Amino acid sequence: MGLRSTRIRGPVERILVAALLGIVVLAGCGPRGNVVTDVGPTGGTRIEGGTATMALPPASTPNWIFPIGAPGYLASHNSAIQNLLFLPLFQPVQKGAALTMDSPRGLAEQPHYSDGNDTVSITLKKGYEWSDGTPVTTRDVKFWFDLIKHNKKEWAGYSPKLMPDDVKAFEIVDDRTFRLRLDRPYNPTWFTANELQDFVALPAHAWNPDHQDPKHAFARLMRHAKKLSTFDSDPLWKTVNGPWRIEKWSTSGQVSLVPNKKYRGPDKPHLDRVILKPFTTADAEFNVLRAGGVDYGYIPPSVMAQSAKFKEMGYRIDPWEGWAITYIVLNFHHPTAGPLLHQAYLRQALQHLIDQPTISKVIWHGSAAPTLGPVPAGLLDGNPYPYDPKKAKALLAAHGWADHSGQLRCVRPGNSTRQCGAGIKNGQELRLSLLSQSGSTETSNTMQAIKSEFGKAGITLDIRQQPLNTVLGTTVPCKKSEPICSEWQLGFFGTQGSWYFPPDPSGEKIFATNAPSNMGNWSEPRTDRLIRKTEYSDAPTAMRDYGREVARQLPVLWTPNPAYQVSAIRNDLRGIDQNPTLSLAPQYWYFVKKTKNGARSGEGKGGAGK
Amino acid sequence: MTATDAPVSETAPATPGPARRTLAVFTRNKLALTGALVLLGLLTFCFLGPLIHPTDQIHTDLSQAGLAPGGNHPLGTTDLGYDLLGRLMYGGRTSLEVGLAAGLLATLLGTVYGAVAGYLGGWADAAMMRITDAALAIPALFLLVVVAAIVTPSKPVLILIIASVAWLSPARLIRGEALALRSRDYLHAMRLMGGGGSRAVFRHILPNAIGTVIVNATFQIADAILYVAYLSFLGLSIPPPAADWGSMLSAGITYTQVGHWWLIFPPGIAIVLVVAAFNFIGDGLRDAFDVRLEKS
Repeated sequence: MGLRSTRIRGPVERILVAALLGIVVLAGCGPRGNVVTDVGPTGGTRIEGGTATMALPPASTPNWIFPIGAPGYLASHNSAIQNLLFLPLFQPVQKGAALTMDSPRGLAEQPHYSDGNDTVSITLKKGYEWSDGTPVTTRDVKFWFDLIKHNKKEWAGYSPKLMPDDVKAFEIVDDRTFRLRLDRPYNPTWFTANELQDFVALPAHAWNPDHQDPKHAFARLMRHAKKLSTFDSDPLWKTVNGPWRIEKWSTSGQVSLVPNKKYRGPDKPHLDRVILKPFTTADAEFNVLRAGGVDYGYIPPSVMAQSAKFKEMGYRIDPWEGWAITYIVLNFHHPTAGPLLHQAYLRQALQHLIDQPTISKVIWHGSAAPTLGPVPAGLLDGNPYPYDPKKAKALLAAHGWADHSGQLRCVRPGNSTRQCGAGIKNGQELRLSLLSQSGSTETSNTMQAIKSEFGKAGITLDIRQQPLNTVLGTTVPCKKSEPICSEWQLGFFGTQGSWYFPPDPSGEKIFATNAPSNMGNWSEPRTDRLIRKTEYSDAPTAMRDYGREVARQLPVLWTPNPAYQVSAIRNDLRGIDQNPTLSLAPQYWYFVKKTKNGARSGEGKGGAGK
Repeated sequence: MTATDAPVSETAPATPGPARRTLAVFTRNKLALTGALVLLGLLTFCFLGPLIHPTDQIHTDLSQAGLAPGGNHPLGTTDLGYDLLGRLMYGGRTSLEVGLAAGLLATLLGTVYGAVAGYLGGWADAAMMRITDAALAIPALFLLVVVAAIVTPSKPVLILIIASVAWLSPARLIRGEALALRSRDYLHAMRLMGGGGSRAVFRHILPNAIGTVIVNATFQIADAILYVAYLSFLGLSIPPPAADWGSMLSAGITYTQVGHWWLIFPPGIAIVLVVAAFNFIGDGLRDAFDVRLEKS
């Protein structure tokens, strides 16, 4: 049957193919793969040069190079790559348990607030140049600011009333210093962490030599940014000020970075090349890792118990914990699911059906922890909606849902407290569909477990799995009238965490009305007010009040928050900083070779990582 | 038997009919008979087994996840707590149903297409066969993966997409038979008496090629079951909680590192057994239909 190239001709061949399938499977049971290095996790002599290959997350490929993010292109590896080419003014850095904004990788000195916190002055660090030799100046930052100011609706980082609306004036003091006049006093910690972290210098001289107005310049740059196949050849993207430049960027998602020889910063790369390699599934990556095909990869949580085998192969195992929360997005603007999801009792019932502790323990093998709300768990009281199927069923029954052959149907339509709720018809089934990220066994199993629990309560959940970029491109904020709003009801893109907090974990970008990453279109005045408070006040109660309110309101369904990945790193690859904000800094990476007896270890020289 | 029949049977023993001759040759082939018994066993296991060993294959049970064989779970449990023996039955239904339906549909389509092409001959035959050749030039697995990635797989969808690439081989085979049969005297006679093309194809060519069709169908089914396994192994299976042997194998791979052998051996062995069974049956039928092998 079938076609020539894969045709299975005779009976013997057919049996052999079937047997081969079995042998391939059994091969997976083999004891271990190749030993990739005989160097231990410490010691060794540093060497310059070499190529390091890092595995990208499963079913997710880099697809955006322009440092002004567009909706649907917000995968963390996109911004991680952009930050290596175009230096942000401020970058977070982990100091103990805290995140601060004084990373040496930033292009600017620490900001200075004055006039009662409604003016901020920023000075660029000395000596930075673009790769064509032109100095980096405040005009390059102004170019970025003008682009987002005049095209804010196209910028994925835009929240109404925030950047750039909250800047009354951008004043250039000189080539290295500029001043922002704000529309009111802000909490400096919040403003630096969540607003100034967006600031980046773009090469105005190269990207806008004809001094086009910001509208036209932005439209032209966006046209270039949407041509994935030319990211490595378009002259636009060759003018960079970061430590790396693009060597190759394939449409399949493989990115090769080489050092920017004109880089003037203190953290010049040690390696000759860094390759970011895409994989369709975690299992595919795992097989390549076992064969020694990647230097910096990850292992599935299911094999964490077997990490000793990888240590024998010459890898060190290091879980990469992200500062994140994970959730299922609810599309409140969906024509049929929207009226259902607007019912608080229904959201509470759904949350009561998600057994986060057991999913974390059994499916994620302990590499995930329950998400309780929109801020770190320490700021919350606990879980207001713990796993409790009986309570979920009682809530639904109390609001007019009755079981018909295992499927809940609304039998008391209407608006009152004991009825199904506005927009829900008599006899309507409680049926939802979920668009989930593919490529991860743990995610698939989590969704199956949730579907199963929903099913036991009489709720049908249809699951469709797609690669990350497809999910991110579909689950975007939308208006009720837009066709894309009808394409999804529930969305999940949290295999590596759904939302990585900015250093100040306020919610203006995820849960404020019309926020850029408010994918489900949640809008609630009290939430908006509490988010505002976190922007203006540095009182600890502001963040706590916001967190508790959103945890109670359930604009999303909280699910276990996994580690970004359980990293497996070659022992001879050093200098890796697994930052909880997922930024990459391969300029600090270097290889070591085995130290001969009596020779002095070179490890640790030069300072790496943080 | 009546008294008047007796002398006839004594003087001229009754020659067994074609069906009986075929059955006799088939049953003399031990491998074919074994294949038929194995297939019967697997069908019984998948479709009647749940009556003896009923399990919940719809809802997960995380408290029972990853249990080794023993106790209430003779083949252990999956990573989501499904009883593996029950899942093997449940998954086998999908594999067998899709494989049988896709194989038979492909045979039906290919047979009619090939018979029409062979009967018509000339430019129509040339055009129809060039279409077949062009389609054969595209790797089947590539087509299957592309289509399965675009549409959400379900049983009918899997049957259609597998059949849509599998009909080409029987089409070429039956076209050859039709070319040989179209010049037979009885077909000339039928045409002289005013018989049309459809009568020629459906009343004369296809019945005379039935042996080839049946033998080919068994191989088509075996290949279709393998294709279901391929697609499922690549993650393009019917969404959970549905299962088939290929998706069970794929899910089990993740756990080979931690020694959960029971997740991969049973579905792997089941695939090998069913594919081997169909191929042995096909070989037996080919021998049975081949008159040259008959002992006079």
